[in-house]
Amino acid sequence: MNELIAVMVILPIASALFLNLLHNKDRTIKILAFITAIILPVIPLIATYGAHFFGGYVPLAQNMTIGQNLPSLITGTQLFQFHPGIVYLFNSAQQLMIFILCLIAFFAIFTSINEIKRPSGVYAFLMFMGTASVSAILLSDDIFNLFVFFEIAALAQVGIIVASGIKNNYETALKYILLGNIAGPLLLLGIALLLGITGNVNITDIIFSIKNGLVDPHSPVILMALGLITFGWLYASGLPPFHTIKSAVYSKALPHGAALLQAFSVFSMVAIGIIILRIFSYLPFSKTAIIGISLLAMVLGITMAIVQTDFKRILGFLAVGELGYIGLGLGLGTAFGITAGLFQAVNEAIITAFLFIGFGTVLYKTRTSDTRKLGGMMFINPRLALLVLLAGFAMAGVPPLNAFQSKLMLIQASIQSGLPELGMIMILLSIVTFMTFMKAFYTIYMRPKPAELEVIDNKIPKSTIISMVVFLLVCIILGLFPQIATNSLQALAAGLV
Amino acid sequence: MSLYDVIIKRIREIQEKAEEEEPITNVTASAMLTAELTLIASLLIAVVMIRLVHPGLMIILIIAISIIALMAMPIMPKLRIEQNDSFNNMIFYVVLALGIIIALFYWGSINV
Repeated sequence: MNELIAVMVILPIASALFLNLLHNKDRTIKILAFITAIILPVIPLIATYGAHFFGGYVPLAQNMTIGQNLPSLITGTQLFQFHPGIVYLFNSAQQLMIFILCLIAFFAIFTSINEIKRPSGVYAFLMFMGTASVSAILLSDDIFNLFVFFEIAALAQVGIIVASGIKNNYETALKYILLGNIAGPLLLLGIALLLGITGNVNITDIIFSIKNGLVDPHSPVILMALGLITFGWLYASGLPPFHTIKSAVYSKALPHGAALLQAFSVFSMVAIGIIILRIFSYLPFSKTAIIGISLLAMVLGITMAIVQTDFKRILGFLAVGELGYIGLGLGLGTAFGITAGLFQAVNEAIITAFLFIGFGTVLYKTRTSDTRKLGGMMFINPRLALLVLLAGFAMAGVPPLNAFQSKLMLIQASIQSGLPELGMIMILLSIVTFMTFMKAFYTIYMRPKPAELEVIDNKIPKSTIISMVVFLLVCIILGLFPQIATNSLQALAAGLV
Repeated sequence: MSLYDVIIKRIREIQEKAEEEEPITNVTASAMLTAELTLIASLLIAVVMIRLVHPGLMIILIIAISIIALMAMPIMPKLRIEQNDSFNNMIFYVVLALGIIIALFYWGSINV
């Protein structure tokens, strides 16, 4: 047993609750939030792989005290193997993804405590609570526990939007939570159907029941459960039909908040997507559906991004479009394709956070995100402009940056799977992504500054620049040495095939 | 009337509906044109995958979609109107998607 697995969830929750009590104590909030945030990425690195059984409830087969004296009525059946309590699984893939999530959380919190003059304990509470929830979603092998954290993550996201103070943020938050009130209960209904038919909420046990003929794998109840869980997955990730509200959510959060929100979406998508593949991959249509939905997300996200005039909305739609690449990798269903999809998820989370924080500096200096009112920002801070340009290159998949490697892997995987058309669409949409980014970059940075644009004379905090430089370094390192990430992800991908 | 003119006309109509007073710039028009071409090209390439179901069906669908796309052009301004922040639109598409997913997952899992 490894207690550090549980600490990855418990520590951010505990600090969130504690920071919430310290409202108005600015300096204490800053120090405590910084210390906790810097510890978070370290925990997955020092934790050992394995399982954590909450309450010590290991399966009877592993419990030497109770297991030995039980009658054959129990030891001779599958009851002996089943997991009686909540289990968290921690392997190399979870390690990498939680590390990246916590790294983004650290830089989002680090940037926020320096950019916001009076840091709020409530805002820090929401950021830590969201991080804890998504970490739990990544770790949990219990589908009901996953649902609980899915709901907490949705509430934390709503809170981050409400705390932004941006015009019309309340309306967007309300819409998001109302749509969540449709998707959440339907996801829960899907889980309830699985519980009803298999008698279990533990994912490993559900898979065991389905694969060993304890239940009919083609029962209409299971097919209905697949549909409902997939619908919940669309909401958590922001895939169509939730792409419009998800992009609005990003645009109504502060840049550091948006950086974290998109990481929540990416890793929730991966975690629930993996569960769908683990339980339902025996149904070929589940993969076909994932490919179809992902294609729709890519096309709608990227085509809608190019026609936007608000740079936060452009990034929001681009982030949704990039989710499609991850989904395609998962939907291809091969070990190589899934590895590529997971690698793309890691890359996208970093790059989009990099872009949100980078473009956030424009908002910090001008208080506007409308590209029609912006211009000439390159002359105000050329180094920052260069960093943002490199982030855009990374998103479009320009070598030697990280998304180049993952997108190349995805294209190779699609060709190997006999679907070169998917590779063609990915190349086409990468070019359009590049064009969309360059359009935004040109209007904000390169064209002459409009006479009416007022640039506020406040210095960009060093924390923001440090965050961007670190994100760039991660992009370069993963671009030059992709095996650092892919080696960690291969075992999980192979297990899903 | 060229495609470019049709797109400009449609953008004007949308701006009037949205009560926007911004002028139509080259950037706006070219962005809309790019989105239009990307949408149609992606759709046509995606339809080629139907070859795995039946090559004949793929040819029929490509021809049908090409004709529909040409007749419905420009699609992007209409799509933009639909993909707005209206809660009514969002709920409509959410309910529609739920219906499609449940129906397809049931039918698809038995037949595909």
